[in-house]
Amino acid sequence: MTRANKTRDSGIETIQMTQNPSFSLISTNKIIQMSDVSTSYDSKNYALEKINLSIDRGTNYAIVGQSGSGKSTLLKLMNGMMNPSGGTIKIDYIAPNMNNKKFKKMMHTIGYIPQSLGLVKNITVLDNILIGALPRLNKVQSFFKKFPEYEITEAKRIISLVGLTGKENRKAYMLSGGEKRRVAIARALMQKPTILLADEIVSELDHVTAKEIMDLIADAQKRMNLTAIMVHHDMQLALEYANRVAVIKEGQKILEIGVEGDTIVDFQTGDMTTEEIMEMHADDTKK
Amino acid sequence: MTPKNNIVIGIVVGLVLVASYNVEANPLEFVEGLPNLGIILEEILVLENIIDNMKYVPSALLAMLETLQMAFIGTVIGVVIGLPFSMLAARNLNSKFIYAPIRILLAIIRTFPSILWAMLFVIVVGLGPFAGVLAIILYTIGFVTKLQFESIETIDSDPMDAVGSIGVSKFQLIRYVVIPEAASHLLGQMLYMFDYNVRQSTILGIVGAGGIGFFIIQYIRFFEYGKAAVYLFVVLIVVLGIEWISVKIRDKYIVKSQHGMEVTKK
Ligand SMILES: Nc1ncnc2c1ncn2[C@@H]1O[C@H](COP(=O)(O)OP(=O)(O)OP(=O)(O)O)[C@@H](O)[C@H]1O
Ligand SMILES: [Mg+2]
Repeated sequence: MTRANKTRDSGIETIQMTQNPSFSLISTNKIIQMSDVSTSYDSKNYALEKINLSIDRGTNYAIVGQSGSGKSTLLKLMNGMMNPSGGTIKIDYIAPNMNNKKFKKMMHTIGYIPQSLGLVKNITVLDNILIGALPRLNKVQSFFKKFPEYEITEAKRIISLVGLTGKENRKAYMLSGGEKRRVAIARALMQKPTILLADEIVSELDHVTAKEIMDLIADAQKRMNLTAIMVHHDMQLALEYANRVAVIKEGQKILEIGVEGDTIVDFQTGDMTTEEIMEMHADDTKK
Repeated sequence: MTPKNNIVIGIVVGLVLVASYNVEANPLEFVEGLPNLGIILEEILVLENIIDNMKYVPSALLAMLETLQMAFIGTVIGVVIGLPFSMLAARNLNSKFIYAPIRILLAIIRTFPSILWAMLFVIVVGLGPFAGVLAIILYTIGFVTKLQFESIETIDSDPMDAVGSIGVSKFQLIRYVVIPEAASHLLGQMLYMFDYNVRQSTILGIVGAGGIGFFIIQYIRFFEYGKAAVYLFVVLIVVLGIEWISVKIRDKYIVKSQHGMEVTKK
């Protein structure tokens, strides 16, 4: 995969934005906005502190950072699984909150692939993927587990898209790590998502498989005008696939980079010192 | 062994002695009474008596069949009614305001042993196996729900969170995640419950709630130990048979499907 393939509709947006910063003020294309967002698991330490970010529709947004820096937590804030203790979050101009009917409806089209994947292990690949269509079933259909024919056709199409044809009836626990990731991606795509949140889904895979899966997502993104927010362990991979890369350190966003093709078009630092930036680059080259 | 352990053991031994005194448990009386068992065995084990009593085998089998049916109906209905209650009692699916009252209700149901339920239902619906079935249902609800909600609470939270974040309904979450994840446990418990209920059903006849126990208690009352022995023997064989079958089913279908999926987590 070359850098050129990476250009997306939003690319134009990004360029416009950087050329004319005031454009962003009137833009209605911000699908995710966070301002001064903090959250914690216990009362003592912040898992995230004063996070500001704004993501354009159609962007491939990467989040990188060391283990424990708060990457997974950031994703959980975006789908309403966690609530901020301070600041505001807007997902398509709605505050994520499971008790809010409007947001609950929006959750149907937010694909979330947790670090642990969250597959139902004792059911088949096909059944796992069909779960993505559950919000579209009526009560009778979901009681009798009767998916309409077109949903099954769609599931099979996605199965072939992710390269799992022939394994539809395999139980999920019998799959390899890479195959499980494909199932989780397929389940998310089955939701007909507008946003895809993916937590380190390629981190433990070999380079070839990782690239295959990233290409798959890039492809789906192009077709569906999907906004993908992906947590990565590997800065290299993030730079290769993402339009924007945010670096999280100890619960704070210390850096955000905009990438166009091979060039960095936008470079914002938080409270980061020059030494720290140098240190980060040193870390990356070690990998 | 720590001094603390010695104190605990001392207390337990003391309590056993005090309780034994209170219930007049006297080992000497047991030893003195043993020859009585010999007299009964002598009567039962005479060859011609055995041959003579063989003619009761068909009626014993028939009574045992009634017992099995009571246990079967009671288990199936009890488990089916119990499942929704278990879902409401599981802490990982409900708020405190739902699971706490449901748990109290189930705990109350669980207080009564099946024989007490049977006595109650004999009063309500009269003598016969129907009272026994009702007793088994109630007992099963009280007992199996505890097993069920405990295993529901141990299922992996990752798929629940992942599917929950799609915004599916509570019913869908139960139907498509909770039940498949807990299925092998739930089936195993159902089998165990049936096993257990067969044994229980054999004694419900004592209070007139149908099944083979009714005959056994009658024969013992009228000192017809030989006939009672035939019936007891049938109980023994059938219960062992059921246990053997349920072990086979468990090994073949349930243990196999319990192999989990290991997603490597950091
Ligand atoms: N369920 C939890 N309860 C308490 N603390 C938690 C919980 N989950 C995460 N944390 C803490 O919050 C901080 C951020 O965790 P988070 O999972 O977001 O990190 P991460 O960047 O995703 O790390 P990794 O790369 O290892 O997945 C860590 O200090 C972690 O210990
Ligand atoms: Mg994480």
